[in-house]
Amino acid sequence: MAKYRYPLLIALGLFLALLGLTAALKDRHYMLLSLVMLAAALLPLFIRLERRPLEARELVLLAVLSAVAAISRIPFAALPNVKPVSALVILSAYVFGAEAGFIIGAVAALVSNIYFGQGPWTPWQMFAWGLMGLTAGWLRSIPLLRSRAGLLAFGFVWGFLFGWIMDIWYLLSQPEALSWKLAAAAVASSFYFDLAHALSNVVFLAVLAGGWTKVLERFRRKYGLLKE
Amino acid sequence: MSGFGAMHPAVALLYYAGLLLFALLQLHPLFLLTEIFGIVLLTVLQGQVRLLRGVLWFLPVALSVALLNPLFSHRGTHILFYVWDRQITLEAVLYGLVTMTMLLTVFVLFISYNYNITADKFMHLFAGAAPKTALLTWMAIRFVPLFQRRLREITRIQRVRGIDTGQGGLRKRMKDGMILLKVLVSWSLEEALQTADSMKARGYGVHKRSSYGGYRMDRLDKLVLLWLAACACIPLAGWLAGHGVPEIYPRLKPMEWGWEEGWMYAGLCLFVLTPPALEGKEKWLWRSSRRKTYPSATLKPGRTRCMNSPSR
Repeated sequence: MAKYRYPLLIALGLFLALLGLTAALKDRHYMLLSLVMLAAALLPLFIRLERRPLEARELVLLAVLSAVAAISRIPFAALPNVKPVSALVILSAYVFGAEAGFIIGAVAALVSNIYFGQGPWTPWQMFAWGLMGLTAGWLRSIPLLRSRAGLLAFGFVWGFLFGWIMDIWYLLSQPEALSWKLAAAAVASSFYFDLAHALSNVVFLAVLAGGWTKVLERFRRKYGLLKE
Repeated sequence: MSGFGAMHPAVALLYYAGLLLFALLQLHPLFLLTEIFGIVLLTVLQGQVRLLRGVLWFLPVALSVALLNPLFSHRGTHILFYVWDRQITLEAVLYGLVTMTMLLTVFVLFISYNYNITADKFMHLFAGAAPKTALLTWMAIRFVPLFQRRLREITRIQRVRGIDTGQGGLRKRMKDGMILLKVLVSWSLEEALQTADSMKARGYGVHKRSSYGGYRMDRLDKLVLLWLAACACIPLAGWLAGHGVPEIYPRLKPMEWGWEEGWMYAGLCLFVLTPPALEGKEKWLWRSSRRKTYPSATLKPGRTRCMNSPSR
């Protein structure tokens, strides 16, 4: 069985992709195709993680940062969309780079949903938080993000982007009504939640930025972790 | 757990993946309602009715889909009435209702999934294909309760120093919260890196990582796996051949029900109802075994169980 694992998985993936494509072309029904494409977007970075030689220390570091991001969601569970996860993912990516940021964001989403309940939103959250970490890691060296105001603005923008990525799932469930007007309605209806997320990002980033990055930088230097 | 919950994770995963596939592909009200019925039956047989209350959280989302589709989609020929000079068509209303049922199916499905496929079962299936990701996720899952405990301890100790998130202005409270988090992350990282060093000392990364699996696939598991796969093929083949899809847009047509649809529905029923049947079988066996094995447990009229009770 173990010998045929990869061929089996690849065949299964192709089969699902084919079914999704058929549904999209025949019935204008995009839910399955969107899930397949999401998996295809997440896969390359996880494959890279599997293939690169990774020290035990680095693996443990990623696990600790993901777990801290995941539990930071628990005390704020009662307030919708006020969660420090985004701020922690951005700051971790800021110190350890794009790939680590992606893994931390995606794993934090997966792990926190073990406590909040998995659902069709899990892959979307993994994608959104992963992408947040990835972009934060990519853009960390440009001068705009080096400044404090730039970092806060980055968090603010991502608060809205995160909400819009989560809206896609809802929009795709109604293919017949899909139009710019419907998209506008969805964005408008989630505006206050997105605003809450964006503002909480700014607040958490403002509070955490200096001290948190200093702690992480110290660990990176002390143990020589995840050097690019 | 007994019955379906105690079976090999692959069986449960195939079941939920198949259900999700049918729900996403086949927008047929009867098929969707059958799926909901099967999952609810399984949940009731497992004695977890209270979990179903979670659907109430998602009801607004599902209802909004039923409402928004007729408001934004104006295709169709059967015009019911006009809202803001735009026609509301019967087709759009029906399509919205079917989509709502589809979303409800997905939500109910995940309620049952969260109960039956726990994190360890899911990871058991994927530990072989992605060992590093699995180990990383495992460690993160394990850290969550540990860190919560540590955070409580840190909070108690720092309170003595006056660092307390429960007192003072908002600014001070947030600052204190940050101090607590910083202590937590420094402490945990130091400890975790020691763990990593000890992992390395014991030879992590030297060989391919083996993983402990508490699940063995026995004959019943294999049989059920094959049976579910065979049942799932019938509706899928029918769907690929273009059957069993009610035509709502662009013009509502009376639903066709030929022998192809009958076969597809039978296959779906067998697929959906297999886990409730397994669960019901366990229930039945337990009930019967109590009768047979302990005849003294059932009171027969005219005879008391305690022959030497004081009343006698």
